[in-house]
Amino acid sequence: MDETVAEFIKRTILKIPMTEMMTILKAWDFLPENQLQTVNFRQRKESLVQDLVLLCENKRASLRDAALLDIIYTQFHRHQKVWDVFQMSKEPGEDVDLFDMEQFKSSFEKILRRALKNVTVSFRDAEENAVWIRIAWGTQYRKPNQYKPVFVVYYSQTPYAFTSFCHLKSNTPLLSQALTVASNHHKIVKMDLRSRYLDSLKAIVFKQYNQKFETHNSTMPLQENLELDMHMDSRIIHENRIEKERVQRVTQETFGDYPQPRLEFAQYKLETKFKSDFHGGILAERKEPLRCLIKFSSPHLLEALKSLAPAGIADAPLSPLLTCIPNKGMNYFKIRDK
Amino acid sequence: MEWANDKSKGGVLAHLERLETQMSRSCKNLEDPPRETAESDLGTKIRKLRCLRDKLRAEVKQRQARIKASTANAEPDQTLEISEQEAVGGKEENMKAILQAYRFTGINLFASGLSGKRTSRGVCVCISTAFEGNLLDSYFVDLVIQKPLRIHHHSVPVFIPLEEISAKYLQTNIQHFLFCLCEYLNAYAGRKYQADQLQRDFAAFLAGPLQRNSLCNLLSFTYKVEPQSRSFPFCARLLYKDLTTTLPTDVTITYQGTDASSTSWEEQRASHENLFFTKPLHQVFTSFARNGERLDMSLVS
Repeated sequence: MDETVAEFIKRTILKIPMTEMMTILKAWDFLPENQLQTVNFRQRKESLVQDLVLLCENKRASLRDAALLDIIYTQFHRHQKVWDVFQMSKEPGEDVDLFDMEQFKSSFEKILRRALKNVTVSFRDAEENAVWIRIAWGTQYRKPNQYKPVFVVYYSQTPYAFTSFCHLKSNTPLLSQALTVASNHHKIVKMDLRSRYLDSLKAIVFKQYNQKFETHNSTMPLQENLELDMHMDSRIIHENRIEKERVQRVTQETFGDYPQPRLEFAQYKLETKFKSDFHGGILAERKEPLRCLIKFSSPHLLEALKSLAPAGIADAPLSPLLTCIPNKGMNYFKIRDK
Repeated sequence: MEWANDKSKGGVLAHLERLETQMSRSCKNLEDPPRETAESDLGTKIRKLRCLRDKLRAEVKQRQARIKASTANAEPDQTLEISEQEAVGGKEENMKAILQAYRFTGINLFASGLSGKRTSRGVCVCISTAFEGNLLDSYFVDLVIQKPLRIHHHSVPVFIPLEEISAKYLQTNIQHFLFCLCEYLNAYAGRKYQADQLQRDFAAFLAGPLQRNSLCNLLSFTYKVEPQSRSFPFCARLLYKDLTTTLPTDVTITYQGTDASSTSWEEQRASHENLFFTKPLHQVFTSFARNGERLDMSLVS
């Protein structure tokens, strides 16, 4: 086994937390069950990893096997990457998309290899007819860097692709082209949407985040909860009861009853002229627009925004610039004067 | 919000008329002078041919439907059309019209799995899918009764062309929109059901996993017909180019066994092709399982 491959496998296994070790190795399915049972999983991690790497060497693990392990690790730890979203489109009136996964994979790899000899491409099928792609980029003279790969997640017959953040921006056009052509699309555009939470991004662009529907069996739950709170203790009178109810209602209309998709930030780049009632102020005469960047950060931004008005911190309704985020599928905005 | 204010200027209908004339004026302005490049000629030709193909397909389907026609099933264009007047004349009337339409066509609509419930802002339509009498998934479309009519949220899978269907029919013919969506969803559910059944009940007949995609409109697998045989001599590739059907439009069976000289293999291959064209996937395999070694030629009809 190549030394570089051995080192790569060693470093990948070292990253795996002990609690997940067995699960990930089983998912990898490279070392058979009976061999894994001969290993002592209670020893110190460094020794365990040494044992496992030795087993891999005996089985002659290739770069391909190592790349697969890397994909599986990343699938278990997808929030360690930051994901961007690309949107593809077709010409109107196109024929029905007869997506063939094998054709997609071979076409995708061919396009990359035609442009770049030194590249490692690996695939792993996932549920819901999706595929995870791992790409390690090299250059004309250098072998691929296995420690800075890019991951792409594509659900067949959809116009969206999710890619992990790549430091090497120069390869993005090539990656975009490969994705577009292999999936039978014509154009591709990067969306202004980014997050660590891949599943939330998927929920946003696939419009799956609001799955509560009024059916013949469902009832209207909203008013009940509010009234319960209000009438807990008859000795307490809520002077602003009406306003509170209004805020609750508006919040519920805007954000719904469902769990919000998870984003960590919303960013607004403003480029606007100063508007003032006072004539002759210093800034009023300024011809150049003011530029500033406003960033809202939170472990769970949309839930935080949802709780602002009920907590009394902001007025309801909130600015549409904040509430449009899941609907528009954007979390960074450029705002200019019209 | 605009149209509510314009009520004073001659009512909503007058406002719509104004919008219409505005639109036709701006359409005229946007018409490009005809380009005489070969490319655009080819493009036009392609579009015309596609149009013709779609028309012919629709005609074939219509004829097939007429052949199958029973008195219980009314055709979509016999049902109540919601006229533009009704669509415009206030939320209350429109909702009434939609719900009336459901009651009006009665059994037919319920037979096709459509039901609706009024919401505070419009109506929530539930599309239940079924295949061969098995109830499958339900999908919801929550409509907001406004001008223009819009979809608030839905549970239609992202690979179903909902945007396309809404763009074509939502504003002009709600019923057709719903029927069309119903068609796509039922067909998708039917194809998915067949593929799932094949994977679940006939895995022993397949070499390796069934290759499929989100729409289940391309299936590829290697199979055998004799349960005891150790080789998998046939390769199948099924294409469903019409997303509103549950039977394939293209079937390619190739024989990859070693005994290529024998004519019985060719006969089998050809009869398999016919089977896949005419019967649902899992039923084909049920008949393989039942007949064991020799395919009963009487099945091929």
